[in-house]
Amino acid sequence: MSDPVVRIENVSKVYGGDRLRVEVLSDIDLEIEEGGFVALMGPSGSGKTTLLNLIAAVDRPTSGRVVVAGQDTTQLSESELAAWRHRNIGYIFQLYNLIPVLTAYENVELPLTLSRLSSADRRAKVETALEVVGLTDRSDHFPRELSGGQEQRVAIARAIVTDPTVLLADEPTGDLDAASAGSVLRLLERLNDEFEKTIVMVTHDPRAADHAHRFLHLDKGKLWSDPAESPPVAGSGGEG
Amino acid sequence: MRKLVWRNLLRNKRRTLFTVASLTMAVFLLCVLGALLQTFNPEETETSEKRVVVRHAVSLQFELPEAYWSRLETLEHVEAVSPLSWFGGIYKDTRPENFFAQFATDPETLLDVFQGMEIDPTTGEAWLAERRSFIAGRTLAEKHGWQVGDEIFLQGEIYPTDLSLVLRGTFTYPADESQENQIFFHHAYVEEALGNPGTVGTFWLRVDDLASVPLVIEAAEEMFENSEARVKAETEQAFAASFTEMLGNVELLFGAIGFAVVVSVFFITANTMAMAVRERLREISVLKTLGFGRRQILGGVTAESAVIGFLGGVLGVLFALLLVKAAARGLSGMFPLFSAMTLGPDVALLGLAAALGLGALSGFIPGYAMARRSIVEGLRKVG
Ligand SMILES: Nc1ncnc2c1ncn2[C@@H]1O[C@H](COP(=O)(O)OP(=O)(O)O)[C@@H](O)[C@H]1O
Ligand SMILES: [Mg+2]
Repeated sequence: MSDPVVRIENVSKVYGGDRLRVEVLSDIDLEIEEGGFVALMGPSGSGKTTLLNLIAAVDRPTSGRVVVAGQDTTQLSESELAAWRHRNIGYIFQLYNLIPVLTAYENVELPLTLSRLSSADRRAKVETALEVVGLTDRSDHFPRELSGGQEQRVAIARAIVTDPTVLLADEPTGDLDAASAGSVLRLLERLNDEFEKTIVMVTHDPRAADHAHRFLHLDKGKLWSDPAESPPVAGSGGEG
Repeated sequence: MRKLVWRNLLRNKRRTLFTVASLTMAVFLLCVLGALLQTFNPEETETSEKRVVVRHAVSLQFELPEAYWSRLETLEHVEAVSPLSWFGGIYKDTRPENFFAQFATDPETLLDVFQGMEIDPTTGEAWLAERRSFIAGRTLAEKHGWQVGDEIFLQGEIYPTDLSLVLRGTFTYPADESQENQIFFHHAYVEEALGNPGTVGTFWLRVDDLASVPLVIEAAEEMFENSEARVKAETEQAFAASFTEMLGNVELLFGAIGFAVVVSVFFITANTMAMAVRERLREISVLKTLGFGRRQILGGVTAESAVIGFLGGVLGVLFALLLVKAAARGLSGMFPLFSAMTLGPDVALLGLAAALGLGALSGFIPGYAMARRSIVEGLRKVG
């Protein structure tokens, strides 16, 4: 078997100083194979976003190693990390986080402005990404002119346009109605199936988790990966 | 990224406009102050230094006896003396564009004192020969479309007489074209019209050498120490600057004003930019998640505020240019000094550079802080 795309070794994450110490993740290990579709569940405040941020290398662990796409990201400098994220990470947020002053097209194009591409190549990539998410006809719309579901699909197009190694989605349907959520989930499923993208998706929603192939449950700083313990566990744990 | 910078500029148009406007104001003030300073401290030329002006010791409003003329001519080192009386009449109406300097003088000596003045000999003779005639600077004659033989009418304001004068020719003043905005006519003619009071506003003396200027000044003042009308003698520059003396140390004052303006506008722009950038903390974190580096974030914010600075600078310089032009045209009648007022390229460049620098720095400071903020913190920020 090939090397896992994500390998987390003895990772701990502690917030706060001596007195207000909160250990959100304690000594976690995790491996995710290429092409996997993982649903990460757990009560609110259990550290799901924190774990996702560590994989995305927008945050650093207090201790342990995070190896993603063959790179120990804890060893990289800030500027190396920026370039690394650009190549390897596609991040999808709960609240879409599109840039309000840019159109759908320009939002998708944004990450590509960092690479040396001819404008024709760039255009082709943006158009493909918008086609995949089914929003070619909305490319000139600004985020405020789109529905939540459409905004999230633009955000997904932005995340996949650079053809990243890993797609990370933090409660991507958390703010959507059932129909929009369904279309976003089907889209993610298709990206995993058809384009063989490795996906890690945080979700509260058992129905959302159904689309994944593997389930992880985070609670009290520990990761439980026994599928039998998984849904419908999500949401049942105590807060904090 | 360029597109993003541009859109961010347009995102809050009122705020951008306000910031551009405050920078415009600052640059405008800086440029006008700079232009005034340059006007009050003109580069001194040798020929003008060699002239001494003699006027009433109390004030320019008082006249001197005509008899002083021949006595001044007897002073050592003085090569020529010519009377100049500011007539200050109204030509056509009181609109500024019809204002120009009008001097009653002596045609025979005027050119001996003002050697930079050029006039062709036949014109000179024709002027000399006709008491009612006048000569005009070429610039002024062209402005009003006067032809030789044309008659103009000046309504007396200072003196209780009107004048009707005939143009006999034009003069040029190659070394200083601002001198071409005046007319000269016969002192004797004005005297006659006034019933021969025998008075003169000022006497202008050409001195043989620069080194003799202080001696002549001293000798002239001494000469009339015990006369009915004591005189004040000064160099041409001192004479021109005498009305600015009331401002005290103009340079220091203007410098302080300029500095205060720059500092306060810097706080305004820096604060506005800081607000604009802080509001975008979450977006900046998103950009960083997408792979934008600190340098790109910082560059974007700095470019945005530099554009604001540049716009403010250009507008400020333009407005200053307009004002200076208007002042040069409108005020030169009352204060001939203003006719030389221009916005030097060095002053304009300084204003532009100040605006650009202020703008860029206003973005750089909050941009630097933002670029270093943790991504996670920015992403967690709601709104
Ligand atoms: N910067 C921080 N300082 C202190 N505590 C934090 C910070 N960020 C997150 N936390 C805490 O860490 C815990 C996990 O947060 P998070 O990863 O967002 O959980 P989840 O995504 O599972 O809801 C929460 O209790 C949260 O309050
Ligand atoms: Mg979360």
